[in-house]
Amino acid sequence: MSLAGFEVEVQREVDGALATEDMTLSMGPQHPSTHGVLRFVVRADGEVMKEAIPDIGYLHRSIEKIAEKVGWHGFIPYTDRVDYVAAMFCNHGWAMAVEKLAGIEVPRRAEYCRVIADELCRIHSHLLSVGSMAMDIGAFTPFTHAIREREYLNDLFEELCGARLTFHYMRIGGVGWDLPPGWAEKVRRFLDRFEPIIEEYDRLISYNKIYAERLANVAVITPEEAIDYNLVGPNLRGSGVRYDVRRDDPYSVYPELEFDVPVGRGEMGTVGDCFDRYIVRMREMQQSCRIIRQCLDRLPDGPVIAKVPRNLKPPPGDCYVRIESARGDMGWYVVSDGTAFPHRCKIRTGSFAAISIIPKVSRNLMIADLIAVIASLDLVAPEIDR
Amino acid sequence: MQAFVDGLIARGAVPAGVPVWAVYLGAMLVFGGIVVFGFVLPIAGITTWVERRIMGRMQSRIGPNRTGPIGFLQWLADGIKNLLKEDIVPKAADAPLFKLAPYIVMTGFVGTFAALPFSSALIVADLNVGILYVTAVTALVVVGILMAGWASNNKWSLLGGVRSAAQIVSYEIPAGLSIFPIVLLTGSLSMQTIIARQGWAPWAWNLFENPFTFLAFFVFFISALAEGNRTPFDLPEAESELVAGFATEYSGMRNLLFFMAEWGNLYVIGAIATTLFLGGWRIPWALDDAPVLRAVLELATFFAKAYTVGVLLPIWLRWTLPRIRVDQMMTMCWKYLVPLAFVNLLGTAAWMVAFPAGVPAVRAALVVLVAGLALAFLWRVRFHVRNARLTRRHLSFNPLSTARVPW
Amino acid sequence: MGLGAYLRNIKDAVVTIADGLAVTASHMIRKPYTVEYPDRLPEGIRVQDTLPFRYRGMLEVDLEICTACLACERACPIDCIVIEATKDKAAGGLVMTRFDIDMAKCMYCGLCSEPCPTGAIHHTPEFEGADYSLESLVRRFVKAPVVAYKPKKTGEVDPAIKPILDRGLRYVSEFAKSEAGGDDA
Repeated sequence: MSLAGFEVEVQREVDGALATEDMTLSMGPQHPSTHGVLRFVVRADGEVMKEAIPDIGYLHRSIEKIAEKVGWHGFIPYTDRVDYVAAMFCNHGWAMAVEKLAGIEVPRRAEYCRVIADELCRIHSHLLSVGSMAMDIGAFTPFTHAIREREYLNDLFEELCGARLTFHYMRIGGVGWDLPPGWAEKVRRFLDRFEPIIEEYDRLISYNKIYAERLANVAVITPEEAIDYNLVGPNLRGSGVRYDVRRDDPYSVYPELEFDVPVGRGEMGTVGDCFDRYIVRMREMQQSCRIIRQCLDRLPDGPVIAKVPRNLKPPPGDCYVRIESARGDMGWYVVSDGTAFPHRCKIRTGSFAAISIIPKVSRNLMIADLIAVIASLDLVAPEIDR
Repeated sequence: MQAFVDGLIARGAVPAGVPVWAVYLGAMLVFGGIVVFGFVLPIAGITTWVERRIMGRMQSRIGPNRTGPIGFLQWLADGIKNLLKEDIVPKAADAPLFKLAPYIVMTGFVGTFAALPFSSALIVADLNVGILYVTAVTALVVVGILMAGWASNNKWSLLGGVRSAAQIVSYEIPAGLSIFPIVLLTGSLSMQTIIARQGWAPWAWNLFENPFTFLAFFVFFISALAEGNRTPFDLPEAESELVAGFATEYSGMRNLLFFMAEWGNLYVIGAIATTLFLGGWRIPWALDDAPVLRAVLELATFFAKAYTVGVLLPIWLRWTLPRIRVDQMMTMCWKYLVPLAFVNLLGTAAWMVAFPAGVPAVRAALVVLVAGLALAFLWRVRFHVRNARLTRRHLSFNPLSTARVPW
Repeated sequence: MGLGAYLRNIKDAVVTIADGLAVTASHMIRKPYTVEYPDRLPEGIRVQDTLPFRYRGMLEVDLEICTACLACERACPIDCIVIEATKDKAAGGLVMTRFDIDMAKCMYCGLCSEPCPTGAIHHTPEFEGADYSLESLVRRFVKAPVVAYKPKKTGEVDPAIKPILDRGLRYVSEFAKSEAGGDDA
């Protein structure tokens, strides 16, 4: 049968005198727990799925095309919207790409400000991810606790750059604003408060037997599969592959910072199951706290932006930069033709690859497990569709 | 109630010529109406308010606090809103079944109130098969939910309805099996007899009679949660997965009937648990010469126990725990609860043979154990508060507090 | 599954669930975090006043200090600012007849406020912009033709304009300045 352009092959079996038929469900664009506007066409035999085919494009906004219209500086607010859950990384990626094209050197203080903003944003994004994962599994309270912590971060970001979601903090050549007076103290106070909260969260939900049973051994992705399907970030590290762009292809001031790269170890089940991906995110938040403290201690003085002409015209050429976003390796391929407008901008996002593994991984899972898989892969629709 | 009506007839309060069965029927309708509209519906409504305020505090926020002084009229506002909503019956839905389903679910729920003992005198019908009647009537809910799931003509509703049927039917077994030890101990199915066997003091409750009835309480409680579709067993209406499960296509009052049945069912669970395990309405004093005072005290005791165990505890569990998956739910029922329930049944029978009068030392030991566990739990709560580096100014023991935590 | 694993499952379940219940119970005795906005705030406090100075709320233009340089119109990526200014020798400079900002299009990025020389266009902490029609969201700042401001080299002395200019310059000074100063991004 055809469902919005899909040819879904429905199997009809005759078992004795009883003819059975697969059920085709549309986990439609409007659903409480697809993260954003996604759609899955699910072919199921009762509760057990035979296939779950993703249908994307509901949130396509032609952002890459818009880059060609608004110019190098004007595109930075649009990069916020590429992944609005972790907007700092998108700003940073674009800024890095243009700086590489134009040969602009970023001052040291600006690099440190960028890393602090990045890591705070990583905590911001992971909180939402683990919170909504808990909510999808059925526990509503951890979600509100995560949102409560996010509110503190929102206040911090508000003071830093004036916005709570679409930060527009980075500029080409540095950052838009220096750290306000007293902000570093507030960040330290937040971190002092936040680190025990992660432990409390662990006790509330992470090691809860029901939660662990829901996630353990579900959708095991082996390291080879993860690499084949191009998974990145916590999805890849959850499968045991210790690969982090901050470590293996460092940018900014990460070579000077000390942090661990958490990897899934099959704590509750097998390596590479949903629980591992979830727990990697929790541990990454703890490592981010560590990084932020180091940056605040080492913050040098100086300007926070380089001298960049308003009418920027990078020399013709192309470049590809990678940044470790909350969702993994985010790649920015930017082509310049020497004018004030980019010729082409292509964004490679982690969620796009992650959604491609769902048909494979969801065979013989139950529908409830599909929800867990989607949440554990941390898909966000804006990143998939751009 | 029958004694009361007989008394009325004897005193000539009933016009002559009216057959007795008609008087009984009239009395049943009147009492039923009083119980339903005066108690059951307000309980179901107020429970929503209680739940939302408690859930709010657990989630570091306030619950409803605008409609009425402490948001107390929120449930009335919700009820009125639902009445005024458009009643949508999907075109392709099976209209008679679709419309009938909420009524069957409500019947299954309201019917239990006829046998619940609110005090020694306040019981609509002290059936000699009391507890069996209650268990049987609550099973009607399965029929209603299946009908709702099927008649909605919606695959998601169907999934929810079928899941629910599997769940409720499966968990009837451990629920029933854990009722049997109490019935064995008492020797009767009648609710008032079961309560009469217990005393007012905690150590005189059936809960601490022997270790097997102690475990039977937990088996019963978990099974009753599952039958009431409460988290962690709320798969049929799993909000994140199936939108609203079997109740997806229902709007307005029909939807409200389903959820009133769910919230009111919590009270029924509490009432049954209190009757069977927690000593019912027993109070320390006989108070034969002050029947009104006695009725009030007994009602208060019964209500307090039933509400704590049946409403507050499930609310607490609901907002802490995630949801179990379908196959895990079945595993838990058949591989964990049913064997445990059988062990309890056989153990109680053996205990009754070995110690016909019970063992006071074991009772005392169980009471001390529970008290110790409660203290350990409070110590753990204190640990969490200190671990989150909270000081006195972050805490408020007022459950209705709206004071904001300092940054 | 052996008996050991079976009993361990039960024990794990009971212990972790009890710990989770202890966490939620500890939350029951904590104060909530809710700010009861907008009608139950402490006396005299508006949420808008508690927002930081950099907050990017709705745009506001102080026409008293606007030099009609059109830098904001050029900088806006979404073309939501429309300014019409003509040279008028008689009035002594540029005369602005139109300064419209379409708030429905504005994405609150701040790119307009960065290049402003005086800080005339700036974000305010105002965020309550909901209205019933799309047309009402176009904010027309010029009611009658107004002469553009000319910044004075020796500093502003007019007491009506100085506070506005000070605030505007303070707003613009928050933005990052490169070492060499001058034409920043």
